[in-house]
Amino acid sequence: MKTRIKEFRAKLNMTQEDLAKKTGVRRETIVFLEQGKYNPSLNLAYKVAKALKTSIDKLFVFDA
Amino acid sequence: MQQDKKRLLIIGIGMVALLVVITFLYAYGVINNEETTFGGVLPILIPLIIVVFMVFFIAKRYKDVKEGMPLEDERSKKVVTNAAAKAFQFSLYWLLAISIFEPFFAGVLFNSETLDAGQTVGGGIAGMALFFFAFWIYYNKKSELV
Repeated sequence: MKTRIKEFRAKLNMTQEDLAKKTGVRRETIVFLEQGKYNPSLNLAYKVAKALKTSIDKLFVFDA
Repeated sequence: MQQDKKRLLIIGIGMVALLVVITFLYAYGVINNEETTFGGVLPILIPLIIVVFMVFFIAKRYKDVKEGMPLEDERSKKVVTNAAAKAFQFSLYWLLAISIFEPFFAGVLFNSETLDAGQTVGGGIAGMALFFFAFWIYYNKKSELV
């Protein structure tokens, strides 16, 4: 899985910490999400998409 | 967040208090016993190592919570759940190994032929704790968490 979280975050001048606080998770979780190393729950994916003012399908790109 | 801070402080103070009590009780026992073996020192050595790691871990978490991060989230909960499940599974093999190789462990650690109930249970618990710690590190680095 690839994500465009970093790209959207940069557009909004948001740090990983800011995004973590907005979505209620730890900063490490955002790091893993950005690297595509963690499959979030639908709930978290929605929260991240909402914080980055976009939609889930634009944020997460599935290879398979 | 305030609750998380309080929780961490209570855990931290509790661990330090536990360490002081165990060290005092055990040092008292070791000083009064001239036949102390390597296995006899393990009950203090293993908790000491665990507590030292825990103090560093809690201090880091306390700093994060102070900065507004949650104490735990969905990923950290999955890491703990997976590590606990694997530690339980491996501790069964560990207990089996203790019972099969009892004479070996008894000879190497305690200079005796058999282990008593306390030594067996203590070894089982220490092994489970070490497995949990190792699997926690493993799952914390792993990308795919079920």
